[in-house]
Amino acid sequence: MSGISKGGKKDTKMRIRAFPITMDEKYVNNIWALLKNAIQEIQKKNNSGLSFEELYRNAYTMVLHKHGEKLYTGLREVVTEHLINKVRVEVVDALRNNFLQVLNSAWNDHQTSMVMIRDILMYMDRVYVQQNNVENVYNLGLMIFRDQIIRFPLVHSHLRDTLLTMVAKERKGEVVDRGSVKNACKMLMILGIDSRSVYEEDFEKPFLIQSAEFYRLESEKFLAENSASVYIKKVEARILEEAERATHYLDKSTEEPIVKVLEDELIRKHMKTIVEMENSGVVHMLKNNKSEDLACMYKLFCRVPDGLRTMCDCISAYLREQGKALVTEDDNGTNAITFIQSLLDLKDRFDHFLHESFSNDRLFKQMISSDFEHFINLNPRSPEYLSLFIDDRLRKGVKGMSEQEIENVLDKSMVLFRFLQEKDVFERYYKQHLAKRLLLNKSVSDDSEKNMISKLKTECGCQFTSKLEGMFKDMTVSNTIMEEFKHHLQQSVTNLNGVELYVRVLTTGFWPFQSSLSKCNMPSAPNMAFEAFRRFYLGKHSGRQLSLQPQHGSADLHATFFGIKRANTGPMDLVDEGAASSSGKSLRRHIIQVSTYHMVILMLFNKKESWSYDEIKNETDIPERDLMRALQSLALGKITQRVLSKDPKTKDIEASHMFTVNDQFTSKLFRVKIQSVATKGDTEPERNETRNKVDEDRKHEIEAAIVRIMKARKRLQHNVLVAEVTEQLKARFLPSPVVIKKRIEGLIEREYLSRTAEDRKIYTYVA
Amino acid sequence: MPPRKKRSSTAENEVDKPKKRLCSKKSADSSFSVKRCTTWFKTYCSAENDGSIGPDGMEKFCKDLGVEPENIVMLVLAYRMEAKHMGYFTLNEWLKGMTYLQCDSIEKLNRKFDVLNASLSDSVTFRNVYRFAFEFSLENGIRSLDKTTAIELMNLLLDGRWSLSKEFMQFLEQSKFKGMNKDQWYNVYEFSHHILPDLSNYDEDGAWPVLLDEFVEWHRQRSNKTSETGVDC
Repeated sequence: MSGISKGGKKDTKMRIRAFPITMDEKYVNNIWALLKNAIQEIQKKNNSGLSFEELYRNAYTMVLHKHGEKLYTGLREVVTEHLINKVRVEVVDALRNNFLQVLNSAWNDHQTSMVMIRDILMYMDRVYVQQNNVENVYNLGLMIFRDQIIRFPLVHSHLRDTLLTMVAKERKGEVVDRGSVKNACKMLMILGIDSRSVYEEDFEKPFLIQSAEFYRLESEKFLAENSASVYIKKVEARILEEAERATHYLDKSTEEPIVKVLEDELIRKHMKTIVEMENSGVVHMLKNNKSEDLACMYKLFCRVPDGLRTMCDCISAYLREQGKALVTEDDNGTNAITFIQSLLDLKDRFDHFLHESFSNDRLFKQMISSDFEHFINLNPRSPEYLSLFIDDRLRKGVKGMSEQEIENVLDKSMVLFRFLQEKDVFERYYKQHLAKRLLLNKSVSDDSEKNMISKLKTECGCQFTSKLEGMFKDMTVSNTIMEEFKHHLQQSVTNLNGVELYVRVLTTGFWPFQSSLSKCNMPSAPNMAFEAFRRFYLGKHSGRQLSLQPQHGSADLHATFFGIKRANTGPMDLVDEGAASSSGKSLRRHIIQVSTYHMVILMLFNKKESWSYDEIKNETDIPERDLMRALQSLALGKITQRVLSKDPKTKDIEASHMFTVNDQFTSKLFRVKIQSVATKGDTEPERNETRNKVDEDRKHEIEAAIVRIMKARKRLQHNVLVAEVTEQLKARFLPSPVVIKKRIEGLIEREYLSRTAEDRKIYTYVA
Repeated sequence: MPPRKKRSSTAENEVDKPKKRLCSKKSADSSFSVKRCTTWFKTYCSAENDGSIGPDGMEKFCKDLGVEPENIVMLVLAYRMEAKHMGYFTLNEWLKGMTYLQCDSIEKLNRKFDVLNASLSDSVTFRNVYRFAFEFSLENGIRSLDKTTAIELMNLLLDGRWSLSKEFMQFLEQSKFKGMNKDQWYNVYEFSHHILPDLSNYDEDGAWPVLLDEFVEWHRQRSNKTSETGVDC
């Protein structure tokens, strides 16, 4: 190839010629003019007559000869000029008329032409752009479009307003052209080049603001007009709608922020109002078992922080109120069974809600538990009542409950047990009631009893139940001993004088009775029989002591009632009476089942016809309170139970009142059971007694805990010690810090602990 | 010992020397003699108390000293003696105390009173005396001090040294407690030493005995009442 020929004229014909290494000004300008023209044609959509190859080559040449900058700048100018002078004018013209369509088609045209332009100028893209770190052709086009069209104030604001207006219309229920909105949004997204900032600035931000405002107003309107459940449904619908809108014709990334706006405006700001709405809020729903509505509310409130907590607090307040009402003592006397049953029913109700409406959410579960714990301990008699309830279930004669049903009830009772703070009080009562059941043979089934004990064992450990199990064992052992005793009687031909004896031997530590407090004078027949047994037993187990417990125990007596001796009312009667009394027609025999005390009292009447209260007291040595009770049930109970008559016939018993056998006594049954006047639960003085015993025991337990802890740790600060003691004992009861302090002082005095010399707040263990 | 007869100054020189040998000087810096101390002791003791000084001897002793038995100086003296029972001094205790004080006569002891009293202003000594006072006042075999004795004793020790002592005595009088044990006794002193008169730095978790907790509550209730009436006026 020859060298460069300066001034070699360019031929218009296409010829392969030597490659010029330099270009002169004119040549460059020509190329540029060509390209410029081409670009403009493209912009006018007249690209069909253009040759891609030629244009590409020309661009290539320019860049190769280091005129990239001119090309680039020129490009920018051309595009800008076109957009300003042509496109923008069109768009502004169409402001009131098909604005979005016009804008959209301008945008499409722009994109199309830019693609073509880019293709032509691809070499520049690859080389010049890279080297000089400027925007590539296509992006340059985007930027110019953005700045000259979209960001042109008129267009900018109009675009925004148009879009927002369309959304607002649709929210009101009108149908709008979703397609054009979609296109506009797409355009804005693209114009952000690598970010969504244009979309965000120009559309999304104002959109969110407008939406917030809209929903603010709407929420207030909704709330004023609607009940809570309707409101919730409407909110759900709106959320769905907005999410769908974002997905379908806004940008998908808007879904999250708009839903958040809704949640904020519709839910979060009005949480309390919704929950507390009169006649339709949470409380109303609970009262009327609207579990579905609650479920909807739950789902909705899940969305906002603190939403569930607000619901929970409201429900908690209601639950506590209900619970408190149930545990408050009735003025007429509280029935333990209904007390506990109503609590169980309440728990069932709320468990149902928990399951159906709150999908077992942990927050709600905890709330229910803590509320129950709160109000069940408001009434200090709850432990006693729970024990009575379980006692009732385990007794004979509970109609119509299968084993499985009993099991369910016991399980639920255990749930309530866990809520009790004073478990040691429950233990005490349970022992008492169990003892009664065992001794009076009233359990429905041994299996149910043992079942209950094993449940308690799982809950509280062996210490709780070891005595209960001991009681059971005593019963079995007693049976065995009685077998052996019968055998012994046969062999030794001992006569018990017609007394059929049945003895149960109870180990003192296990049973909740104070031994040896009740003594009374036994009538000779039973006494001798017992002595025979005692000899037998002590022969087998020397070194043990047996003491009779007359306050428990029962007897069957053969009773003969001789009929009445009526007073003379007239001569006619006299004849009749004489006949009646001598014929013995009104002689009646019964077997009466009574308690031991009753037996002792009744057998007195074998010795003398009538006795005064004082005489009975002195002769029998029965403690006053028990004596009163026994006489009441013998003489002042129902007519069919009055084995004795009292003179005077008042309701109360005084020292001088006389008792006689009621020969008028009749009963349809041969075997008559005399009921004791015993009340179901403790009376007031008994309750105090039990409470005192519990307090005594607690003192010992606290001291034991203190000594145990100090022995292990040797030195401990006061607060830490108190905390540790509370921790160790809280499974049984909650000791107050003051009580613990008192016990510590007691131990200091007895020299188990002492204060350290350096710091009087630290205790040390004294070995 | 009987008071010395006054000698004329002229005869002094001649008489001094034999006096020196006999170690019976009158002046204050004559040295302490156990023998003299013991003799002094014997003037108060009586056989019925197994050779110790009993209540009667104690009375005489106090009279000779010119102080009442309830004077706090007696307590300090007993402390120095490490006496075990109030109202009784054994010979050993006597000697121990008197040797510490270097006193073998009434006059010397009298002169030491100031020292004894002054020693109480040292807080360590005071504390020890205070603590000692409790065990000292206990009856045989009983581990706590009955109410009246406690109040008296406490008054003796703390009146004038603790701004709240009067209030505390009042509190004790009206309270139901029957006896004070050692721990409570000790802690009252600590309380008086550490807690401000307005009880502002009293902390409920300070492991104070319940007795003091109750005192604080009682006192606060009272001050609230008085301040309320103050406002009405």
